[in-house]
Amino acid sequence: MEHVLEIGRVLPAGDLLTIPARTAELTATIRAMAAGDQDAFARLYADYARMIHAILLGRVPRRDVDDLVQDVFLTAYTRIRELRDPAAFGGWIATIARNRATDYLRQAREHVELPDDLPGGEPIDAGTFVVLDIVRTLPEAYRDTLLMRLVEGMSGAEIAERSGLSPGSVRVNLHRGMKLLREKLGWHGHD
Amino acid sequence: MTDYLFDGSGTPDPDVARLEQMLGRLRTTAPVQKVRLQPGATEIHDAHTISVYAGVRFLGPAMAAAAAIALMVGLTWRTTTPAASWDVAVIVGTPRIGSSPLIGGGRIAVGQTLTTDEGSRARMDVSDIGQVTIDEGTRLRLVETREGHHRLALERGTLHASITAPPGQFVVSTPSATATDLGCIYSLHVNDDGSGLLNVEVGWVAFEERGRESFVPAGASSRTDRVNGPGTPRFDDADEPFRRELELVDEGAGMKVYGDGLRYVLAHARTRDAMTLWHLIARVAPADRASVVDALAARVPMPVTVTREAVLRLDRAALDQWWDALGLDEATWWRKWKRPV
Repeated sequence: MEHVLEIGRVLPAGDLLTIPARTAELTATIRAMAAGDQDAFARLYADYARMIHAILLGRVPRRDVDDLVQDVFLTAYTRIRELRDPAAFGGWIATIARNRATDYLRQAREHVELPDDLPGGEPIDAGTFVVLDIVRTLPEAYRDTLLMRLVEGMSGAEIAERSGLSPGSVRVNLHRGMKLLREKLGWHGHD
Repeated sequence: MTDYLFDGSGTPDPDVARLEQMLGRLRTTAPVQKVRLQPGATEIHDAHTISVYAGVRFLGPAMAAAAAIALMVGLTWRTTTPAASWDVAVIVGTPRIGSSPLIGGGRIAVGQTLTTDEGSRARMDVSDIGQVTIDEGTRLRLVETREGHHRLALERGTLHASITAPPGQFVVSTPSATATDLGCIYSLHVNDDGSGLLNVEVGWVAFEERGRESFVPAGASSRTDRVNGPGTPRFDDADEPFRRELELVDEGAGMKVYGDGLRYVLAHARTRDAMTLWHLIARVAPADRASVVDALAARVPMPVTVTREAVLRLDRAALDQWWDALGLDEATWWRKWKRPV
């Protein structure tokens, strides 16, 4: 079985210089949001929505992902008092997203599950959904990281900053995930 | 060292680039969400009116002031919004708001979707200006609600709207046209391919897309599709051949090729169908415009203040004066609504 990296905290020296400033900014934003600042909420949403979207897309039918993204942010808002360390917001809201997906899937067993490619949006070819289904079979750390990179267009550094993973862990997850994905797709490129 | 997979630097890895191209289509397109925080609300009565209590550990006692906050997630945020959510009642079955089943009733907030399956229907209040009934197999989103402006997006399915508000306050967008209520009762259906049909029972509805307008009166309908936008409106009591040929005219509108459809419509239009002919003036190719003008003039004489030349060059004032002569309603009131002085 593939080894999945634990969350790492080792950062390059260059990043260490900017971390306090970013943490202070994030703390201020979370405090402002909790105090009723709409713009603060919007900033957090803008910064983290792509990560949450990727996490949910790796688990639930695409058609419900946007709604669940909203649910996750609403939940985060109402439970903000549970967050002891503002710097851990990314990992915390990611956990909310994973739990929300689990709840969704538990409820979905009682209903007819909707396929990903329902009409109503822009047409997407079937091959895309085949690839998505294969990505969904990857170990969680690889799946989430790859979807943030390949679907949402986030850079490795951005993924690290949002998720709380170290850049090194993100890099390893991306490359190991890509290697595994190539194998599953039957592609024989190099990595 | 470059690492295309990590940061996009260096020579693109063909496999990664291919996956980016494929999977990038699934990227979130939801606009940045904003919130409206409304102090004073205290009850938790649905998933979207939420109380946040004091005790945010790292925030300190100041947070007690936020003891009750109604959180509304929306596509836009307006400080003037009296209530950024609407009541929804279940008529039958189990509709869903977002991913949550709706039991009995609840509220839909801006940005949320309401979905009915084949066994469920629902009814929602449009703020305080009317109601919308949602049929089976429908999915819609509450896009915006504020004083004087309320908007739904109907992705598929059928809704029936009954609005008692001044023109222009209630808007429903569909994948191929936008319906603006002009004070009326109407039904709007959207197919899975984005095409649709508007039926007006009372009043008027403006049906628009990319500058193409249809003004649909009571007893009339207008089709719409992604290619051509709103079709030419026609009264529902027109006979089936007339309606079929008119559809052919609309289908050929993009290429200005109408075949026999246009000749049939011009020859068989009743006096009552002058409304349809009036719409066709601006829709047909310039070479066909004179024949449409003649057909309309044969049913409703051109006002003496209007010249044929002005109509042929699509002069707005001339067209409006002729419209007023149709006896349906004066053009001035919806022109005024569209471009308030």
